[in-house]
Amino acid sequence: MKARFIYYGRLVLSSFILFIAVVTVLFFLLELAPGDPIQALVGDAPISDALRERLVVAYGLDRPIIERYLTYLGNVLTGNLGYSVVTNNEPVLDIILSRAGNTLAIAIPSFLISTTGGIVLGAIAARTRKRWLDSGLSGLAVTLFSIPNFWLGMLLILFFSLTLGWFPTQGKGPFGGSGVDPRYAVLPIITMATTELAYKARIMRSAMIESLGQDFIDTARSKGLTSSQTLWRHALPNALLPMVTISGYSLGFVLAGSVLVERVFGWPGMGLLFIESVDRQNNMVVMGIVIVLTITIIVVNILTDVVYGLVDPRLRARFSPKRSAEVKKEALV
Amino acid sequence: MSALTEPLPTLDRDRRAERSGWRIFLRKPSTRIFIPVLVFFIVLSVVGPYFVGDPITAGYPKLLPPGGEFLLGTDQLGRDFLARLVNGGRVSLLVGFSVALLCMTIGLIVGGLAGFYGGLMDTVMVKVAEFFQVLPGIVLALVVVALFGANVFYIVAILAITMWPGVARIVRAEAMRVAQLGYVESARAAGFRGLRILASDVIPNVTPPVLVATTMTVGRAILIESGLSYLGIGDPSSPSWGALLNSAQSYMRDGWWLAVLPGACIVLVVLAVNMLGDALNDAYNPTVGRVK
Repeated sequence: MKARFIYYGRLVLSSFILFIAVVTVLFFLLELAPGDPIQALVGDAPISDALRERLVVAYGLDRPIIERYLTYLGNVLTGNLGYSVVTNNEPVLDIILSRAGNTLAIAIPSFLISTTGGIVLGAIAARTRKRWLDSGLSGLAVTLFSIPNFWLGMLLILFFSLTLGWFPTQGKGPFGGSGVDPRYAVLPIITMATTELAYKARIMRSAMIESLGQDFIDTARSKGLTSSQTLWRHALPNALLPMVTISGYSLGFVLAGSVLVERVFGWPGMGLLFIESVDRQNNMVVMGIVIVLTITIIVVNILTDVVYGLVDPRLRARFSPKRSAEVKKEALV
Repeated sequence: MSALTEPLPTLDRDRRAERSGWRIFLRKPSTRIFIPVLVFFIVLSVVGPYFVGDPITAGYPKLLPPGGEFLLGTDQLGRDFLARLVNGGRVSLLVGFSVALLCMTIGLIVGGLAGFYGGLMDTVMVKVAEFFQVLPGIVLALVVVALFGANVFYIVAILAITMWPGVARIVRAEAMRVAQLGYVESARAAGFRGLRILASDVIPNVTPPVLVATTMTVGRAILIESGLSYLGIGDPSSPSWGALLNSAQSYMRDGWWLAVLPGACIVLVVLAVNMLGDALNDAYNPTVGRVK
């Protein structure tokens, strides 16, 4: 138990350092950016002299860089991500949080679909004795994996929206309405889930094949268990272990991919906000989104580690930081 | 006398194994389909631009469907779409291959040294991988472009910086294994240094898996670049396939070919690369096939 606490304590500490590193890189990228810092701060909008004066003082641009860096870091750590000057000085955090729900509305369903679908298809491909089924599923996975998922979204719009007229093309609901209309969410969810599903099916297939080749499978069979008991009770749980790590660690790429999917479908989530802010050079919001994204990914990574420690029987029986670290290293690099 | 001049038996067996790996690879059906596909696109993007029309001149009829005077029709501004597609391929492939080659070089050097010496290099590698796992390449690229402006070189550099740990990991594992072997130890005892041993003993051993990883990197880099260009932040002076898709979305109702063709090209190239990577992997790791 003690080993576990020390391990997680260290994990939280190193995650915190990682977060500081990301904020530092962002801060210095912003510093290095060419052009007028005040203009960059305000974005693509005219500035009056009075405003400029006020901003120079407000952001302490007359002070040395180290001092400004520490102030920025302090602000970020206390939850102050700055203000979006272009849009009436709204706090950046509020703008981001108002969009986060929309992203989750498509990200969570597609996460569930891709995980269950990936596990089922991967297990079938690994288990089946029909060669054509395995190579068919594997070929399908590689193909889906090779399709840019925003283009898949465009094809879905072309076919299901423009040709068949089944689903709307843009937005999250009828104009002026609030909330999410499920009909609008179908295509974005499918688009987002497909690439992930292919990726997870590939991982699951090789994990399952590896698991089926282990000695304990022979032991289970020789104990007299039927082949389906062996499959469900022994092979599958072991093959699911890498899925836990992969699902957790791939979250960052899923959220990054939401930028593309949201752009295709005009879905007003965090990703679309990110692109809008990049277009308008609203750098405070750009930075804010990256920071929120980083925090989310770091927290999910820690949770993944904790869950892994709970589900892996070897770690459950006798916690070993070394083994836990090895698993992480494998999944990471 | 003859015993000394004959090659060592183990070496001979290794060579034969290597040759047969290639032969297995070349004999696979997927190889036979996808090598021509890849070669077609490479040749097209190298010499194609000299044979097609001008991709920039507008003024032809707008949104002309494929098949008439223009083989692939014209775009929303009345530009020859075949010319735009061929020139776009040049950018996409150039980005994909440059990123992969950079990743391979960095991966071989850093991964090799990390595996060989462990310690600091090793820690740095893992930390860098961790860093880019919480700050995905596409996000970092968007930030850099937002701040510094769009430019193909930035995009290539950022993708290489974020993607090299994939190759490095493989080289690292092999270097760790090789460092324990007797003949490497004797090479060390004989006074050869790290880089020399890396070149003579580690790199030949890791060639197949590194080739696989590099091949896959080409595909991933093309996908990420197309995503960036689709978002409208690619280099505006040299539109890649992704950039063509960006402008196509507003014209999908009247110009389906503008949306379908560039995407199909991306899929074919990336699929070819992934399939060849898979086939190469299978050929060199016959054990990773079906079990029981």
